[in-house]
Amino acid sequence: MKNYISAIKISGLQKASMGRSYLVQCEKVLLAPDTQERIVHTACRACIANCGVLAHVKNGRVVKLEGDPADPMSKGRLCAKGLSGINALYHPNRNKYPLVRVGARGEGKWKRVTWEDAIDRVAHMLMEIREKYGAECVFGSTGGGGNPEVWSAARFCNIFGTPNWFEPGSAQCYLPRVLACAMMYGGMDASIADSNCLEFYDEENCPIQALVLWGTDPSYSCPASGGRMVNELRQKGVKTVVIDPRLTPDAAKADVWLPIRPESDVALQMSWIRYILENKLYDEDFVMRWTNLPYLVDCDSRFVVHPGGEKTAALVWDKKSNCAKTLQYPWDEELDVELFGTHEIGGKLYKTGAQLLWERVEEYTLDKAAELCWLDKNDIEKAIRIYAENSPSSLCMGVATDQNINSEQSAMAAIILDFLLGNVEKPGTAMQRFQISGVLKSPNYPVPVALKCLPKEQLEKRLGGREHKGLSIWYGGHAASILKAIQTGKPYQPRMWIDRSGNKFGVLAEVQKWAEATEKLDYIVHMFTYPTSMTAYADVVLPTEEWLETEMVVETCNICVARQQVVHLWETRDETVVWSNIAKRCGELGHEMCKKSFDPEFMGEDLAYWDSMEKFFDQITPAQGVTWKEYCEKAPFEFLPKEEWKTYYVYKQPDEAGLPQGFNTPSKKIEIYCDSFIELGRTGAPFMPYPLPPADQDYEPLPYYAEPTESPMRNDEISREFPLTMTNGRLPLYHHSTLRNIPGLREMMAVPELWICPEDAETYGVHTGNWVWVESKRGKIRAKAYVTKGIRPGTVYMERFWHPETLNTPTHGWQETNVNVLTRSEGPFNDVVGTHVLRGFQVKVSPAESGPEGIWTTPADFKSWLTVGKT
Amino acid sequence: MKKQYAIVVELDRCIGCRGCQVACKFENDISLGASRNHTYTMGPVGSFPKLSMYFLTLMCQQCENPACESVCPTGACYKSEEDGIVRIDPELCIGCKSCQKVCPYHANNFNPEKRIMDKCDLCEASREAGEIPACIKNCAGAALHFGDINDPESKVSQLLAANEGYVFTLKDETGVNPSGRFILRREPWIEELPHVFEKMLQEGNGNVR
Repeated sequence: MKNYISAIKISGLQKASMGRSYLVQCEKVLLAPDTQERIVHTACRACIANCGVLAHVKNGRVVKLEGDPADPMSKGRLCAKGLSGINALYHPNRNKYPLVRVGARGEGKWKRVTWEDAIDRVAHMLMEIREKYGAECVFGSTGGGGNPEVWSAARFCNIFGTPNWFEPGSAQCYLPRVLACAMMYGGMDASIADSNCLEFYDEENCPIQALVLWGTDPSYSCPASGGRMVNELRQKGVKTVVIDPRLTPDAAKADVWLPIRPESDVALQMSWIRYILENKLYDEDFVMRWTNLPYLVDCDSRFVVHPGGEKTAALVWDKKSNCAKTLQYPWDEELDVELFGTHEIGGKLYKTGAQLLWERVEEYTLDKAAELCWLDKNDIEKAIRIYAENSPSSLCMGVATDQNINSEQSAMAAIILDFLLGNVEKPGTAMQRFQISGVLKSPNYPVPVALKCLPKEQLEKRLGGREHKGLSIWYGGHAASILKAIQTGKPYQPRMWIDRSGNKFGVLAEVQKWAEATEKLDYIVHMFTYPTSMTAYADVVLPTEEWLETEMVVETCNICVARQQVVHLWETRDETVVWSNIAKRCGELGHEMCKKSFDPEFMGEDLAYWDSMEKFFDQITPAQGVTWKEYCEKAPFEFLPKEEWKTYYVYKQPDEAGLPQGFNTPSKKIEIYCDSFIELGRTGAPFMPYPLPPADQDYEPLPYYAEPTESPMRNDEISREFPLTMTNGRLPLYHHSTLRNIPGLREMMAVPELWICPEDAETYGVHTGNWVWVESKRGKIRAKAYVTKGIRPGTVYMERFWHPETLNTPTHGWQETNVNVLTRSEGPFNDVVGTHVLRGFQVKVSPAESGPEGIWTTPADFKSWLTVGKT
Repeated sequence: MKKQYAIVVELDRCIGCRGCQVACKFENDISLGASRNHTYTMGPVGSFPKLSMYFLTLMCQQCENPACESVCPTGACYKSEEDGIVRIDPELCIGCKSCQKVCPYHANNFNPEKRIMDKCDLCEASREAGEIPACIKNCAGAALHFGDINDPESKVSQLLAANEGYVFTLKDETGVNPSGRFILRREPWIEELPHVFEKMLQEGNGNVR
């Protein structure tokens, strides 16, 4: 820094500094010009896709970004979000130094402090709350975009002793699908936006014939990787079906587009299951031998019967002997096993899993689905036929169905469809268990959560944790229950919020309630790369690194990639290190577990805390026989040749006893009838280290459909006053709550659009380009109307938005146009995972005289956000 | 035959992600509010839910008889003999915007900092350094291509030949004879200039066919 300043010639400085002791002239040092352009292989983190990037660096400055051809998923392409990394990095409004509040909250008065001071203050706050009220009164949060690593917050909370951390996504994004897959299959889920479906990226060789994109739009969520890949598959003739209320680019290019009524998805999925069963379109051999559908279920207990208690053995009905027999894993050729059946044995009623599945879906005829989902019956049938008759096929889910109360059921119903068709671990199918490098213990994220550090009595205090045990797959808390506890003080009063990414006031449901709740919190800490709405409520702001400054191990298909620190600006730190800094200081202040978290012997596989990213990675890269430094030099590198990395039919590979190893489920079969869900609700197994008190009601082993709480089908007071159903969906320019401060992106979309169809627009007097009011039972915002046939009648669409330009006004940027003022944080929630409602709720629309005050709408407005200095 | 470099767009491949717009912006240091290329949404048209929609990315069409060249008062705007690319000489341009007014494709824009006109030159500087244009390089859909459309051996000519019957050029009412080519198989071509079409849609005249 000293050299840099002295290298700048400032005329008059010498004269001005004469006689003033606090201005000391430095020795003049001229920096040698570094004209040689350096190219660093790194990986993007503008969204969660990790696309390979070539960062061009000249004179210590990033001057250009482009896609890295070595990346097998993006193949050298980079999208609008990724390319904007330069703007994000050199944004004039970065959080540059640790700040503490000196005025009132929201007044925008801050004092710069050293990191040591800031960490000390945060640690004292944490220790004070813990001593006065208990560690559980602190809650952490992550997510919202801008996540370099997802588990850091969870790890810290476990070590500090609070069971309360949440992600605004989780139960509303991805977790329901991960859970269904883990419970029923034991492998990776089929989410394209979460960088799965790796089989598809070998587009030339992948034999897939038909792809169903259900509530997902890869061309918008991940254009360079998943969007590119789906496009290539389409080009080579793969048939596609898209289920989405909005005409996305993928919907426009689909063979069949089903513009479904938002959040009626499970009803449609049930009709698909019914149709496939009724018309015997399922893969009978796979269903019989590799799923638990032929197994007999005790209709009283609702559990599959395992004679002798051995989970791999099950009771089946043998048609040959006309009696129940025990089927030993994996199969018994002597038996003629029945698939559908109901039997009374010893005065008790038993049904096969298939029979129970059929009974569950029986009422969902195509006619019923057409009526519930507002679709054409023939189109539904055509879609099912494309999916079921073009083998291999796959069904990929997106976030859409995660955002209403049917979240877990939709995830279950969707994978049941792929199971029925036998779309599992075959070449050309999404669900696979390919080889991994071993560097990452869990997919994509390396930080161990250290659950063992959280005492049992603290885990039991998790807000919402008893009722929604599905959250425990990610060891997480329930945001809506935390909000309720802040509002009511019951069962106890949370008092400190430590948050580390994105703008929670852009992504949490009914954010106005959170704003009000902050008044009941003694301390709020916010770590991020730039100021957000949350900054207005914070007491301490810690500056974190942009993705071009962070480091991370990344695995992309069979390639190990390094996100490398290309440059480093200001006093920013990687938040994975910041948590460690805080833990260390808490240890010094007398927190025993925080102290122990630095002891490698005690931490074992959970790894001792680190004071640099290098020290952290040096504990995990030895899985590839290298230090982090060596890994970076080597990356990107193949950890296995493509052919060896792709392992199909893992379930058929022999185990030690010479039997096929099966699936990672208790029965080693695909558990379509998944009684593990009952067990999960009662005890927390298999995710909790000990049984926890049961949820009020058992979870269902099979999917079921519940009409959304607010729905036009209810024809009640709410639906009459608010006649339109709101849905959301991705844009290619933004990720979650991030990038609204990037001039080049905001000039393309300065404010959010409200999509409305021409008929509804006429009814409500709305025109393209005009401002409109959008109102739900909970709040009122404005948006610019976009009248288009590309949204189903009766439905409107908006994407989340906030305005960094009005941060220092009374709105703090979140009140003008954010659809999350309208969403619903109150129950009913999804039973298993506690999902609240972000899509599929009722609104009304009316013309507005003008737009909100102070927001920026024309390109020239964004000039002050252009990069600092010249690129 | 004379060389004619031009962009060929496979519209069936364009996924409307706007990566090309941002890539161009960075590569060519385009000012806020201006852009050398633009992805238009063509549609949706038809009756719900049987709709048709595609994205059309448009940049300078490197016309055979460029209107911009004929109106330029200083000779700054010229069509190069050696490769058919229409260029603007920054030394001669006085920023009078005459070319902007006559371009039927809205492909010229004014740079308010330099106060001169700016347009796509197929990333001249990058090509000199052995690179391909930034929009093409970053295109997630691999929809964009460039090359000599007059050379039957060129990759773009072969691509066009393979798609015979599905190749379109933009509507030409003034005889500029645009060199840009568009391949569209999956949807019916909308015979209207993108900006005119978008305006019609916005005015509520959605059914243009």
